Amino acid sequence: MKKKLFFTLSLFALFAFTGFAQKTVSGTVTDASGEVMIGVNILEVGTSNGTITDLDGNFSIEVSDDATLEFSMVGYTPQQIEVGSQTVIDLVLEEGVALSEVVVTSLGISKEKKALGYAVTEIGGEDFTEARELNVANSLAGKVAGVNVSNIASGPGGSSRVIIRGNSSISGNNQPLYVVDGIPIDNTNLGSAGMWGGQDWGDGVSSINPDDIETMTVLKGSSAAALYGSRASNGVIMITTKKGGKRKGVGVEVQSNYTFENIIETFDFQKEYGQGDNGKRPTTQPEAIASNLYSWGEKLDGRSTIQFDGQSRPYSDVGDNLGSFYQTGSTWTNSLSLSGGDENYNFRFGVTNLENQGIIPNSGLDRNTFTTNTSGKFGKLTASFAGTYIRENVQNRPRLSDSPGNANYTAWSMPANVDVNSLLGPNGDGTNEEGTELLFNDNIYVTNPWFAAYNFVGSNTKHRAMGNTTLRFQFTDWLYIQGRAGIDSYTERRTSLEPYGTAYKPLGGMSELERRFTETNLDLIIGVDKTLDNGIGISAFVGGNQMERSFETLGGSGNNFNIPFLHTLNNLANRGTSYGISEKAINSVFGSLELSYNSILYLTATARNDWFSTLPVESNSILYPSFTASFILSDAITMPSFVSFAKLRGGWAQVGGDTDPYQLNLTYGLVGQGHFGSPLGRISQGRIPNFNLQPSETSEIELGADFRLFQNKLGVDITYYDKTTSNDILFASISQTSGFGSQVVNIGELRNSGIELLLNITPIKRTNFSWDMTFNFANNQNEVVSLLTPEQDEESIRVSESRTRSAYIHHEEGQPYSVIKGFKYARDAAGNIQYDENGYPVRGEFGVLGNGVHPTTLGLTNRFRYKNFQLSVLVDGKFGGDIYAATNAFAYLRGLHKNTLVGRENGNVGGPKTLPLDEVDNYYSQIYNITEEFVEDASFIKLRQFTLGYNFPKTMLESTPFSEVSLSLVGRNLLLLMSRVDNIDPESTYSNGNDQGLEMFGVPQTRSFGFNLNVKF
Amino acid sequence: MKSFLNKFYLLGLVMALSMVSCDEGFEELNLNPTQANDLDPKFQFSYVQLQTSGERYENWRAVLIYSSTMVQHLSALATYWSGDKYLFNSGYSSSLFDRAYNNYIKDIQDLINNLETSGENPEMLAMARIWRVVAFHRVTDIYGDIPYSEAGKGYIDGITAPKYDAQEDIYKDMVAELESAIGQLSGGGRSFGSADFIYGGNTDQWRKFANSMLLRLGMRMSKADPAAAEAAVRKAISGGVMTSNADIAMIQHSSGPEGINQNGIGQVFLADDNQRMSKTFIDWMANHNDPRIDVLGYMAVGGAQVGLPNGYDAQTISSYGSDDLNTYSRVNPKLVTVDAPMIFMTYAEVELLLAEAALRGWHSGDAATHYNNGVKAAIQQWEVYDASLAISDADADAYLAANPFSASEGMRMIGEQYWAATFLNEYEAYANWRRTGYPAITPTDYPGNQSNSQVPRRLRYPDSEYGINGDNIQAAISRQGPDEFTTRMWWDK
Repeated sequence: MKKKLFFTLSLFALFAFTGFAQKTVSGTVTDASGEVMIGVNILEVGTSNGTITDLDGNFSIEVSDDATLEFSMVGYTPQQIEVGSQTVIDLVLEEGVALSEVVVTSLGISKEKKALGYAVTEIGGEDFTEARELNVANSLAGKVAGVNVSNIASGPGGSSRVIIRGNSSISGNNQPLYVVDGIPIDNTNLGSAGMWGGQDWGDGVSSINPDDIETMTVLKGSSAAALYGSRASNGVIMITTKKGGKRKGVGVEVQSNYTFENIIETFDFQKEYGQGDNGKRPTTQPEAIASNLYSWGEKLDGRSTIQFDGQSRPYSDVGDNLGSFYQTGSTWTNSLSLSGGDENYNFRFGVTNLENQGIIPNSGLDRNTFTTNTSGKFGKLTASFAGTYIRENVQNRPRLSDSPGNANYTAWSMPANVDVNSLLGPNGDGTNEEGTELLFNDNIYVTNPWFAAYNFVGSNTKHRAMGNTTLRFQFTDWLYIQGRAGIDSYTERRTSLEPYGTAYKPLGGMSELERRFTETNLDLIIGVDKTLDNGIGISAFVGGNQMERSFETLGGSGNNFNIPFLHTLNNLANRGTSYGISEKAINSVFGSLELSYNSILYLTATARNDWFSTLPVESNSILYPSFTASFILSDAITMPSFVSFAKLRGGWAQVGGDTDPYQLNLTYGLVGQGHFGSPLGRISQGRIPNFNLQPSETSEIELGADFRLFQNKLGVDITYYDKTTSNDILFASISQTSGFGSQVVNIGELRNSGIELLLNITPIKRTNFSWDMTFNFANNQNEVVSLLTPEQDEESIRVSESRTRSAYIHHEEGQPYSVIKGFKYARDAAGNIQYDENGYPVRGEFGVLGNGVHPTTLGLTNRFRYKNFQLSVLVDGKFGGDIYAATNAFAYLRGLHKNTLVGRENGNVGGPKTLPLDEVDNYYSQIYNITEEFVEDASFIKLRQFTLGYNFPKTMLESTPFSEVSLSLVGRNLLLLMSRVDNIDPESTYSNGNDQGLEMFGVPQTRSFGFNLNVKF
Repeated sequence: MKSFLNKFYLLGLVMALSMVSCDEGFEELNLNPTQANDLDPKFQFSYVQLQTSGERYENWRAVLIYSSTMVQHLSALATYWSGDKYLFNSGYSSSLFDRAYNNYIKDIQDLINNLETSGENPEMLAMARIWRVVAFHRVTDIYGDIPYSEAGKGYIDGITAPKYDAQEDIYKDMVAELESAIGQLSGGGRSFGSADFIYGGNTDQWRKFANSMLLRLGMRMSKADPAAAEAAVRKAISGGVMTSNADIAMIQHSSGPEGINQNGIGQVFLADDNQRMSKTFIDWMANHNDPRIDVLGYMAVGGAQVGLPNGYDAQTISSYGSDDLNTYSRVNPKLVTVDAPMIFMTYAEVELLLAEAALRGWHSGDAATHYNNGVKAAIQQWEVYDASLAISDADADAYLAANPFSASEGMRMIGEQYWAATFLNEYEAYANWRRTGYPAITPTDYPGNQSNSQVPRRLRYPDSEYGINGDNIQAAISRQGPDEFTTRMWWDK
């Protein structure tokens, strides 16, 4: 680390004094009412030389002789002034609508925002760099109406789940397409936990470096995305990276961000009764081992009681076991960028180093990103190149869900009187003298948490290169041709180890895996942009795209190490190799025509035809169109004076879709290496193939209005959409007795409709103080309209199952996507719970118990500015979804849940019978099987983000080499303001897949806080 | 300008050309290069046999945790050994069901379908059909009514929600299938050869095995349909059943290179040391001065074999005796290695079934002779696991002399010996115990058990079927009775 700092500082010295200026211009900026304006940005056009006005509205800047200054501030019309011979410039800034806001849309084409017939939200890069998330996609939470971000409980390097306008495919990918500088990048999840445990191996977007993001633009609707093809049917998130601009010398920017994180202690387990079984404490060591996961003992009384290791300790609460196990995590990010350019050439180079230590001991992530962006203009030809190399190393991705190797599982399950530190063992890593797992209970599958943390390995390193090169030739001022080649390629090396001496696998086992992914995109477009004399503007292009992707896996794995503790493949007694490949391609032609009239009315039509390699040749082509319109009402007719701007928009679009490769034919493969020389062969698929597949089709209608009122003090943007996916290609769960777990069919229908509301309010705007509020709200109504057979009602598809084997995620006709199903209490007609002859509640019928996806999301950002201080607070919430809390089911089984205190003294558990005290545990264990008890309302409100920043005034910096310095205190996920779930965080789902609503012993949610320092030269 | 326009046209032309053949090569691209479109039936038969032997998953759960403890071959204190205490664990209970259809019924149906379609290899087809009976009878014996006629046909016939057949119909069809397949055995065509792990493609041994299976299935119907039972038994005997321990139907496993090569029971014992020999079984052997006691049991601390009683947990065991598991007999480690054979049917069982047939008057042979042959074979069969487990003729004969067959006690004696002979073939031990009621097992009374403190009569269906094959499973329940441990299946009524 020291070396890196030295390197950074040397660079500072090198570039600090490269700029120079010839004259000083000063002046005062006021608004229309004559009030002085603080914090107006003043930039020398074409350079990064700039300043801001001080408390009295004054500024002073050194500029070159031929300089032009641009004055800008949010909510005001920017103004450019040629300096000429002036040395004093006093200026009045007019409030105005940012009518010329430009956003980047499909294919990286910049458009005036008012021309768009659909909703677009743009987020600036600083939203991702101040208060950071390891996975940048998680930073979107609460910031964009209609974007539902799930915070997956899977630790550093984990995946994100971002859903825009609801889930629209039963089995396919529902996450948006991520596009960097016009080129799609891969966001494949490389593996997530399921009912039998497992790890979250991360996704594609997680390796994007926030420091290189200029803006992130969310294209929500299908029409916004029509030109990106099938993968854009779930919306597009366009990332535009930072580029160099015209300036003098080389601009240097340094950012340093340090945060630490702690678990949010949501758990509230009972601390009155200790370890034991049948209402009794252990009296012998074998009893202590047998009951070490159970809190069905006696009331804690401090009496010396034997424990698993044969030692006796006081039978009393040992305190915060989770606090003892989880440590304080930390993340330190340092980035440096250099940029520069002139009229014809520009460049930016960035390097970022991130080091993270997770809250689970011996886990963490480090990531290095190198990025470069250059562009040159040679007459009519513009050539640009952007490339990024990322090296990401994640150490010990936590095991989730089921117990083997899952440290969380065990840490959560400790009885109140057993100190998790007593499991450390003589070596301090959960091993005994021999170096094998220190056993503390009789279920070998419940792993010693220290052993899991320090001896298991689940690590991977990813080397990723992404880049694109673009050539654009401008024939005339209205005709151009552009060709682009983009690539996203990575190699992932993964090592998983169950070490020698693991209780459930005494001789151990490991696997080494290498996966190679490559996606290439080639596209060519020819376009015209022309405004005719009669006020009609034409913007049109036609083009084609070729997409190819391949995923190749080569691995070796096996069991039983010959030489103890020598953990290498070569030391395995039994081992095998595996190889897999998956390839697909899509070819497309597309076109777009936009007509505008006097900047009042904009009409856009697009069409795209895709050919999919994954579908049968006879039916692999689909043509789909879109039409949108934007009408600037406030320019067309005279509006009341309080209306500053009014726009109506509408659109209709279709998008076609395909499926995974190799879904058409039944094939056979070999298993293992044969048996006594005879090869073993079987049907490869667990899913019934279908050679009659057709493309799926999503169509969406969208209507919206954008009003800005009272001199822009109130902005209202409202959108209604209605999206239907038909012919959805889905993997329908079928009865396993068919021999297959699922079937590929082509008849699903889903509907999402909803509203999105965005309010921008500026309650106070004074010279020294301003307050801005942004409120976003979205409600999405989702319905699975039809599944397997159109004529048949009430069909249901099972997507996932909880390890408790009593809760399931289904997609079910007539229900929203991803419902939680399971067993209810048996009840009589009056709704009373029924009990069996033992006095235990009876498990009743199987049915829908909850909705795994929140229909309502909202976020509220308040920004305050006082002089040079800025305070920003984001509160967000989700409502209406449920979660099956398997952790609570286990807390019943284990006697940890506070509800299980009822009846321990007298056997009055609440049922019709008074139970013998040694049966109280059986009563609650019975409830463990009753799903209904553990399906809980997962609605929440969180204090998601907090930043308090200070911009050092220019006057303070004058004698330093720095041109801008800002320092912020930042925090993420600070408080759970409202939750209705017992013990767990309502955002604790362990999967980022289409099976939302299951929780079980994930990594606890954390709050992080720290500081961010930004320095520019 | 003109030259620009020319270039423009050229580019347009290039683009148009590249799009004309927009899906060229796509068909090939979408064929998985690591998979084949056809498969040698040998490879698939080998796979199916090995999978029927089973993985650790179902051998742990259905075989050991449930069946072996319910028949009191084994016992355990750990509460997750649910069968020991008649507790319900959904995933354990459904484990055989969960694995059989996916892991081998799918492929045996596919294999039979392909062999039937080609029609070229009748002998292979016959063996595959016999093996299908082996696979299905274990599943129906555990659960009762199960998907049978429509099972495993998701691809072949597009059946995604197979109906549950009545066990009576399943048994009648399995008997018919065996009879028909036996007739087909000498039909010629290719031989499975060494791809058949059981008999190396030996047709005569397959005929004996098929007839022995017919004998087993026939006798299984003795309570429910004595006439059908007798007919099947007679047919089996006249067709020729197993004649020595050389005919034992078993699959030899090996220690590697991968898990699939290993014996599933052996894999369990590698990972789990909670189970012990049941007191019931140890005491029965001890009381009869049985030479098997030190072949089947193993005392780590030396001394006489001590069985662990069923129905206790780590705490309640103190009320019985030692809570130190090392003071109770383990299963002899030589029987439960990862390269141990997995036994499907033994000659000993056949002789004992013949003895029972003789007692019932369904067979003209001498019950005592068959009994003696069966017991001797059962005592000596353990050497197939390890030569050191051989028991001499003299010891076996001495045991028989000390425990002579008595016709009046015949059914009990046969039942008890069958129980001992089927140790580690727990599916069969559990099925035959339910049919005969021998040995007399004292049920345990663990608090909160799910069977009214009776030995369960079946295992419960997977929860998953309720959600996904609801109508069909409900039809089965309304026909068979509630999906409970206590419900008796057709042949057990």
